[in-house]
This record gives sequence, C-alpha cells and structure tokens, in this order.
Amino acid sequence: MPPRAPFGLAGFRRGFRVGLAMALPILVYGLAFGIVAAQAGMGAGMAMAYSATVFSGSAQLAAVSVMQSGQATLWAIAATVLVMNARYLLFGATLQPWLSQAGTGRSLISLLFLGDANWIATMKVIDAGEEDRAYLLGTGVPLLVVWLAGTLAGAVFGAILPDPKALGADLMLPAFAASMMAVMVKAPASLVPVAIGAGAALAMGAWAGAGWGIVAAGIAGGGFAAATAKDTGKGTGK
Amino acid sequence: MTPSLTAMLLVAAAAALACRLAGFAAMRYLPRSHRLDAALRATPLAVMSGITALALAAGGLTEALALGTATALALWTRNDVGAAIGGVAVAALLRAFGG
Repeated sequence: MPPRAPFGLAGFRRGFRVGLAMALPILVYGLAFGIVAAQAGMGAGMAMAYSATVFSGSAQLAAVSVMQSGQATLWAIAATVLVMNARYLLFGATLQPWLSQAGTGRSLISLLFLGDANWIATMKVIDAGEEDRAYLLGTGVPLLVVWLAGTLAGAVFGAILPDPKALGADLMLPAFAASMMAVMVKAPASLVPVAIGAGAALAMGAWAGAGWGIVAAGIAGGGFAAATAKDTGKGTGK
Repeated sequence: MTPSLTAMLLVAAAAALACRLAGFAAMRYLPRSHRLDAALRATPLAVMSGITALALAAGGLTEALALGTATALALWTRNDVGAAIGGVAVAALLRAFGG
C-alpha cells in the first residue's frame, strides 16, 4: 500500500488563510439566505440547520423558493438540490486523484466542507503543486463558520440589514472564478477550455438555467481535452 | 399536504451529500489514462470560465466592470483572492451610485 499523502496542520493553515480572505463575501451571501429563509417562515434554528447540512447557497435559495411556491414535495426538494448541485459531481471527480491519497476518512470529511469558492482555490493550488491534502479542509472551515454566522444574522436581523445584492454578494463567486482563472491561464493552450467552457455555459444556461450551464461547461471543456489529448507517456499522477 | 420543514431539510441534506460524494466515489472506478488526466486538468478552467460567462450574460455594465476589474487585478497583482474582493467592491460602489 503506498504511503498516505500529507494531511497536516501546515496545509490546513495555508487553506485557512485563503478561506478567511474569501470569508466576507460568503458572510454577505449567508445573510441573503438567512433573510430569505426568515421570509419563508423558517426560524433561525431551522435556517442554520439548512446551512450546516446543505452548505450551498444556490441550492438552499432554490429549495426555499420551491417551499414558497406552495407546491413543495420531497421529490421536488430532492430534484432541486440535485440539479443545483450537479456541478459538485465534477468538483468531487476532479479532486479525487489528489484528495484520495490522504485516505478515505480524511477525504470524506474534507468533502463535507466543499463549496464553489474553495474548490476553485484548491484546484488552483493543486495546479501549483500543493502536496498537503488538508488544504481543502482548511479553506472550508472558515467558509462554513461565516456561512452559518451570516445565516443567523440574516434570519434574526434581516429586517434592519442592507440588501446583500447592494454589497455585491451575487458577484462573489463569479469574481473568484474570473480572478483565479486569470492566474491559472499560463499558456495559450489554456484558453481552449476557457473558450469552450464559456460557450457551453452560455448555450446550455440559456436553455436549462445557470446550474446546468456550469455542468455543461465542465463536461464540454473536459470532454474536448480528453478527445484531443496526446499520450506523452507520462501521467500527471496528481 | 406540504411536508414538514424537517423532512424537507433531511431530503435536501441527503441530496447535497450525494452530490458531494458521488463524483469522488465514481472516479475510483475509472481507469487512469492520459485522456482522463487531460480532462481533469481542463475541467476547472472550463467551469470557472462558465461561471464568469453566465454572470456576464445575466448582468449589465456594473457586473462587466466588476468582473473586468477582478480579472485585471489578478493579472496585475497575481493575488487572486484580493482581486476578487476588489471586483466585488467595485460592484458595491457602482451600485451605491445607482449602477
């Protein structure tokens, strides 16, 4: 059995620092969910329970809108969360070759803290050679804490807080994506998945919504790269 | 009859957990190859690009300026997190002035 990859405090700290830097917009996004949850008749405790167990703003907001429609069924809630979070299938798949080297238990715990922003941050450091698999968990802990804090504040004080959109909360994820993509594009060849991803997202997003647009971007970009890959005889081994 | 909030919470949590774990678990059964490695390397960039493109398509000038600022700051400083926060700050500022 090969030795486990590092999973230590140093990597956790590196991730934690990045997570802290990303925390303010997540806090504001959490406020938005707390406000919407309170408007839907959830108490602060129930809103916090949703944030702790689902930990996905887009899925939570979509589920609440289904509840508010008056036609909520358990199937409708399940389908809504599955559709909104289908991109996490890709996130988990792309992390697996790297994260699984830390062992199953550590991987599964880390995946509980997986979100859009820290997936992007982690894929960037994997690309740069990060070895310590605790990095993902380190980024996720502060994000979950501020997500819960924002949810609580929004649910309790929503009536007197400013509109989260006015603070740019809706642009948090796209801004992280744009800036980290800019840093990760190192060669003209990297622009190919960028172009394919944008095209696929726009085509599918216009037809089936943003959630499927993101899934389509990943599948199209990854699919094209697989179809055109040349065997150089040296695997990445990441 | 509308289900209870607790029942809906349990279903939503189970669905979210399934999405987090299923892709990771499925990869254990895919044989590694140069094509799979190429796909895994390209997917993050394609997803980031898709997220950005969808936000640009849904937004207007304010959103374009905010994301343009984030991109330019990232290219200039190589500090992606700071650049993202700068982009969000530009959006908040423009919206405060009616953007």
